[in-house]
Amino acid sequence: MTVDLIFDFLNQFFTSLSGNEFLLLVAILIPCVVLFGFITIYALVVIYTELKVSSFIQDKVGPMGQGVGLHAGKWGLLQPIADALKLLSKEDIIPSSANSPLFVLAPFMIFVGAFISFVALPFGDSIIIADLNIGIFYILGVGSLAVISLILAGWSSNNKWSLYGGMRSAAQIVSYEIPAGISLITVIMLAGTLNMQDIIIYQQGGIFNWILFDNPFIPVAFVIYFISALAETNRTPFDLPESESELVAGFVTEYSGMRYAFFFLSEYANMFVVSAVAATGFLGGWQSPFPNALNSPGWGVFWMMGKTFFLIFIMIWIRWTVPRLRVDQLMNVCWKVFLPIGLVNIFGVAIWTVLFGG
Amino acid sequence: MKRYFTDIWETLTTILGGMGITLVHLIRARNDNVTLQYPEERWPRPERNIGFEHSNYNVIRSRLHVDMDDCIGCLKCERACPVDCIKIETEKAPNRGEDIKDIQHIGVTTNGTRKALVVTRFDIDMTECCYCNLCTYPCPEECIFMTGGPNAKKHPIDYEFSEPDRSDLIYRFAKPGTKDGIENIMSENKAEV
Repeated sequence: MTVDLIFDFLNQFFTSLSGNEFLLLVAILIPCVVLFGFITIYALVVIYTELKVSSFIQDKVGPMGQGVGLHAGKWGLLQPIADALKLLSKEDIIPSSANSPLFVLAPFMIFVGAFISFVALPFGDSIIIADLNIGIFYILGVGSLAVISLILAGWSSNNKWSLYGGMRSAAQIVSYEIPAGISLITVIMLAGTLNMQDIIIYQQGGIFNWILFDNPFIPVAFVIYFISALAETNRTPFDLPESESELVAGFVTEYSGMRYAFFFLSEYANMFVVSAVAATGFLGGWQSPFPNALNSPGWGVFWMMGKTFFLIFIMIWIRWTVPRLRVDQLMNVCWKVFLPIGLVNIFGVAIWTVLFGG
Repeated sequence: MKRYFTDIWETLTTILGGMGITLVHLIRARNDNVTLQYPEERWPRPERNIGFEHSNYNVIRSRLHVDMDDCIGCLKCERACPVDCIKIETEKAPNRGEDIKDIQHIGVTTNGTRKALVVTRFDIDMTECCYCNLCTYPCPEECIFMTGGPNAKKHPIDYEFSEPDRSDLIYRFAKPGTKDGIENIMSENKAEV
C-alpha cells in the first residue's frame, strides 16, 4: 500500500524517470529505512522500560542519575543509549574454531526474519507497507525463519552451550508455532479472511465488537496465542535457548559487540511483531475502543501502538514474575495442554458461531 | 483426567496470583524501594552508645583533621604517631605572634598562644593512618582531632573519603603557597639587614 503510494509520488515527481525500476527500488528502500529507524528507537524505549519495570518489581530503582556525565541522565534516561554505544564500540570476536561465514550470517538472518514481519503490520487505515491478502499467514511463515538462524548461530559457534541453545530453540519454536497457528485459526474463522486490514475492519465499532469479546471461546485462544508468542520470542519463562544458569548464554555465548546487539534487537523486534499480531487479531488493531469516536488515522496509530505496548508490558511483567520452565515441562505444556485445548477450542468457536451467530 | 484440569487451573491461578504480587510491588516501587542513591542520599548514622558520655572521652575514630590556624608546629603529634604518617615542616616566623597577611598566617591561636613558627608542611597520609588516636592527646592546642563525635562542632563527621587515586589520600593541611611565601619574606628580611 505505502510502497505503491510512494512509487506513484516518485513517478509524478521525477517525470523523466517515470516507470523506471530504480524508482521502485527507492520506493522500497524508503519504508525500509523508516522501519529500521523505528525498530532501533523502539528497542531503546523497550530496553529502558524493561530495566525500570524489572527494578520496580524487585523494589529497586533501576538506572538513575542526576545529569549528563558519569551518571545516566535524569531517571537514567540515557542508559539504553549508553548500552547501545557500548555494544557498538565493543570488539567483534569470531572464535577461531567457529565456522566464520555461517557465524557471521546468523545475526543478519535472525534480524531479517524479524524485520520482514513488519512489512505486513497495519498501523492505520492506509498505513501498511504491503497489504498482503495472506498477511497473517505471511507473518506466521517468516516468523519461523528465526529457527534457522538460531540453529545456525548455535551450530556455527562450535561450542557445546551454543549448540544446546540452538537445538532447544529449534524444538521450542517449531513446537510453539502450532498452538499459535491453531489459536489464530479461530480469528481467521470469525473474520473469514487472512488479510490483516480486513480482520481489523471486521472488528469495527467499539470494544464489544473486538474478536476477543465475540465469543466465549476466544479468550482461551488469546491466552494460548499469547503464551505461545512468549515461547516463540524466547522470553522468560521460555528462555531455555539462552538460559544463563544452564547454558551461559545459549546460542549467543560466542557473540560480542554488534552481532550480539543484532540478536538483542531482533528479540525485541519479534516481541513487537507478536504483540502487534495479537493486537490485530484479538484487540481490534487500529480501531478505537469507543464506537464512532477517536477513529481518525492519527488516533489509529495511537491505538495500535497503545495496544501493542500494553501487550509488550505484560510480556515484561511476566518475565519478572514467572521462573523458567524445564525442557520436559516446556514440551508438556505445548503438546499436552495447548494443542488439545486449542483444537477443542476451534470446535467450540465453530459450534458457538453456528448456534448463536458470529 | 480431573488432575489434568485441576493442574491447568492451578497453573493459571498461581501465575495470576504471582503477577498480582509483582504488580503491587511495581506500583508501590517508590515506597518500598530499598536502593539508596548513595552520593545524594545516605543512611542516617545510628546513635552510638559507648557506655559513657562522648564529650568526656575523645574516642571517635573517623578521619584526622587539623585546624591550621591553631597549629603551633610543636611536632608532638608527629612524634606520637606509631606509623609515622604525619610529616611536619616549619619555618621560624619573623615576629612571634604576629599575623603575616601574604601567607594567611595567624599569629595567635584560639587558646591565646603566640606562635613562634610557621608550619610550611603538614601532611597526613590517611592510607597509613591506623586510627589509634594517639596524636590527638599530646596536642597542646587541641588542633589535631578526629572529625565528628565530640568534635562535631569543629568539623562534622566524615568517614567516606574514598579517592580515585591513592596519592589523593595524603591530606595536605598546610595552606598552599606557605612554603614559598615564608621563604620570600625571609630572604627580603635578610636583604634589608
